[in-house]
Amino acid sequence: MLVFAASDKGGTGRSVTSANLAYHRALDGDDVCYLDFDFGSPTAAAVFDLPDVLSEAEGRGLHSYLKGKTGEPLRVDVWSRTEHPQLRSRPGGSGRLVLLPGDRTGGEFVTDDENLHRCVDLVLRLKREFDVIIVDLSAGRSYAMDLALAATSPRGGLGRLKTRWLVYHRWTRQHVMAAAELVYGKQGIVQAGIAMGHEADALSAAIRFVRAAVPNLESPLWSQVSPAQYAWMRQCDTQLEEIAAGRGIGKTRVLSSIPLEPVLQWQERLITDEDVHDRRIANVETWQKMGELAQRLTDDKYWGQL
Amino acid sequence: MSGPGTVFRETSAQPATKSVPFSHLSLELGHLYMEDFVEGPDRLRGHFAAVRPWVDAARAGVGSLPAGKRPRISTCFLIDDYFSRLSTPAELIPPLLAAAAEAGLTIDYLARESGCAVSQPGRRDRAELAESVLHRLVESPPPGSNGFRPPVSRTGWLTNGRRAPSGRTSAALDATGAVWEPPSETGARGHSVFMDVELWSGPEDERTWSCAFLASVWQLVRLGLLRDNGEPVLTPAPWDAKEFPAEWDALPPVVRLNPLAAPFTAYATCSILPARFLPVEHAVRVILDQVHVEPEALRQVTVRSQGEGITVPAAVVDRTSYVFPPGL
Amino acid sequence: MGAPGKTTDAVLACGEVRTCLLPTREAVDQQVAERLLRLRADEPVRVSKRPNRYAVSPDVLTGVDCRLPTANGSKVRAVGTVTSRAALVEGRVLQATAYFSAPAGGPDRRRPWGYYLVRPGVLVPIGKVSPRAVAEGFLTRHHQDELDVGSIAEGQLSRISRLLADSFDPPLTTTDTRVRWAASPASDGDEPPLRFTVAEDGLRTLDLRLPPGTAPAAAAALCEDLALHDWLLTTVVDKLDGLRLGSADGKAALKVLRPLVDHLLHLWLPKARVERPLEALWDALEQEPGFSRQWETQVRRVRDQLLLQAILTQREALGASLTTS
Repeated sequence: MLVFAASDKGGTGRSVTSANLAYHRALDGDDVCYLDFDFGSPTAAAVFDLPDVLSEAEGRGLHSYLKGKTGEPLRVDVWSRTEHPQLRSRPGGSGRLVLLPGDRTGGEFVTDDENLHRCVDLVLRLKREFDVIIVDLSAGRSYAMDLALAATSPRGGLGRLKTRWLVYHRWTRQHVMAAAELVYGKQGIVQAGIAMGHEADALSAAIRFVRAAVPNLESPLWSQVSPAQYAWMRQCDTQLEEIAAGRGIGKTRVLSSIPLEPVLQWQERLITDEDVHDRRIANVETWQKMGELAQRLTDDKYWGQL
Repeated sequence: MSGPGTVFRETSAQPATKSVPFSHLSLELGHLYMEDFVEGPDRLRGHFAAVRPWVDAARAGVGSLPAGKRPRISTCFLIDDYFSRLSTPAELIPPLLAAAAEAGLTIDYLARESGCAVSQPGRRDRAELAESVLHRLVESPPPGSNGFRPPVSRTGWLTNGRRAPSGRTSAALDATGAVWEPPSETGARGHSVFMDVELWSGPEDERTWSCAFLASVWQLVRLGLLRDNGEPVLTPAPWDAKEFPAEWDALPPVVRLNPLAAPFTAYATCSILPARFLPVEHAVRVILDQVHVEPEALRQVTVRSQGEGITVPAAVVDRTSYVFPPGL
Repeated sequence: MGAPGKTTDAVLACGEVRTCLLPTREAVDQQVAERLLRLRADEPVRVSKRPNRYAVSPDVLTGVDCRLPTANGSKVRAVGTVTSRAALVEGRVLQATAYFSAPAGGPDRRRPWGYYLVRPGVLVPIGKVSPRAVAEGFLTRHHQDELDVGSIAEGQLSRISRLLADSFDPPLTTTDTRVRWAASPASDGDEPPLRFTVAEDGLRTLDLRLPPGTAPAAAAALCEDLALHDWLLTTVVDKLDGLRLGSADGKAALKVLRPLVDHLLHLWLPKARVERPLEALWDALEQEPGFSRQWETQVRRVRDQLLLQAILTQREALGASLTTS
């Protein structure tokens, strides 16, 4: 399965949630690879705690590959290379977890047919080796997104691969509207996809939203707020739900809601079982929701035409 | 694949390349457009009169053969029935042969240009000759080609060097690569003569082959270097009838008009052509320089010519020569 | 000048073999294999059925003009063509090979392209080279602007993958392997005939000393055979490594083991297409580390596990029927 992670704005937790998603799928036994297509600012190496990879990827990362500068994009085995103390021993029964980092100084670039061919070749090759391929796209309408839509269009070469889109947004009025615009707007994913030959229904059936950093009003985090504050927040939440529904990204289109997690506010990292149960620094709910997202990603029940 | 001492052999795993007979020289007595034929017999007579002295020169130019050997030279003429068919074989061929005879020339072999393009009627199992050659192109690598970045090919075109980069493809805020670069000829002496040859046009499943590409196929056919799954291609068919058919497709792609002619295929070719074909033949040389001929076919030429005490140039393009005489 | 295309003066042959599972649900039959491997209209796909089903594409050439990797960092430019081909073993495993041979020296400037085209698969150096420095450099270094035969082999795999894009559905995920090899003529010294090194990320290097006069194509065939069996071994070992043994989750184990039996276990057949004088090199690998020995152990493990699962399943069913009755 090919998964594209997109968002309209930065700071939506797209990269960090996608990385956790990759981690959970690998724990469940899938062979997973994570492609950092965030051409502007590759961050995956930091999330997986691979400090040396940034400099290693210089001239050998995905940008260099797509631009035709290297034939062999760098691959990093996360289990064996990470500095994260709890990840270093690969759990029994888990699958491979491999990062294809971006170049540090890649920047955005204009795509052409050559890039498209290389992109298609790379994905087909990874499809032989991995069960799940997660592609982290840069925020907003980017050339990376263009490339993804072109490659998965009927004429692009990857048209028959099972493809799913995750669109991340935070739970605020601005973020909800921006995410809806990114998908259904005039220059949105669906319209751009149709222009490239995608079938509208099939494409929108393959798009789901992930709400990130959602405050759970029932959690202990908010137990100290005054009744007035609580009532106001409750009202905002209801209004947001209405806005979301009105823009076509209501609950039925949401794959998962990841709660606000203090650990992730401080550090973009993988949340492990140990973080939750032994060190007790992360909320168990976060761990569970990440797991739920990973499960639902491949569960057809949560996908398709609504 | 099997080594010495192998007992078990499978014919499907061991292809064989059949050999063809060779003249010393295949001499092409000019080339005309259909429109030229329409101009009438005088046009044809003028053509062969201008060709005649150069035929003698080409014969003399075959060079010294081992004592007692007469040079084997066959003549040929290619009729363009691919791009336009203004006339029929029955109308067109007899005046052509008469005009040649008047100048004291014999056309040993007559070929149809579409024979170089499409598969023979009734031989649908055979590949289109032009398409086979297309798959044998190995592009000359501009310096710096390391295998990952093969010469950037533009579908349907072939160059003798490196094209000017198209548009700006550098990363944002990356100043390198944004400047215009001129195209360049690989191996140019000082300055470039860059050529970009169109090989075909139209949709891929019904291509129209370019004149230059068909002319390259024609050269390879005359040099006896093409095979189809090991079998010779465009083998001349004898033609004894006085009459010619009313349909081009009823005429075999290559016919032998002179029963006593030396073999159609030859170690070397010489084409006597009007100077207006100079750009086309330049393109032919660019193409021939990048065709990878089956090694076994090359080897057969080497062995045979060495047996005759004759040296054939190693590179295919060096086996072709041209005369562009005045007044043609 | 020697006869055109003659490679008897080659002092070195190098190449890379890439091996992967053909990404179709089932092994493909001969007809499909021929369609996938047909690179030219006028040249057939060679097929053979003994001792196993095998099909190989015609050779294709790729022109290169670049620096060769050298162990001592000396700058050597070479011009010529790299031969590549793709092959299918039992319609199930796909291999692509790209290789070249090189003489010890060549003209001091680039010749017209036709000169190189009549020497297929030969890279002619501009000036002189040290064969040893190139062989070592080829196996150990990889610099961006230097010769990249791996990508030429990968190009073959990509082409076939694109043809299969509509039916892309591998029955199990496997890691591709890359065997990079360099062959020099054996001398009288006591050098071992072969050094096989397993590096990370699917890369292996193979340093070969071959009987003088061995054709580069024969060396390539030997390396393809070694690469195939190394890939089989790697794949089965990887799958068994990841297995959650002893767990109650028998279904998960079966999900891993079954594809191995269905698709891979019958493919082990060393030396199927190796020329006789080169068989000794295979035998060296059988001695140390013992390819076939390890394979047999792994196969036994797969079978034992399956047997165990069968017994457990049976017992469960029996237990279930006892409690319900």
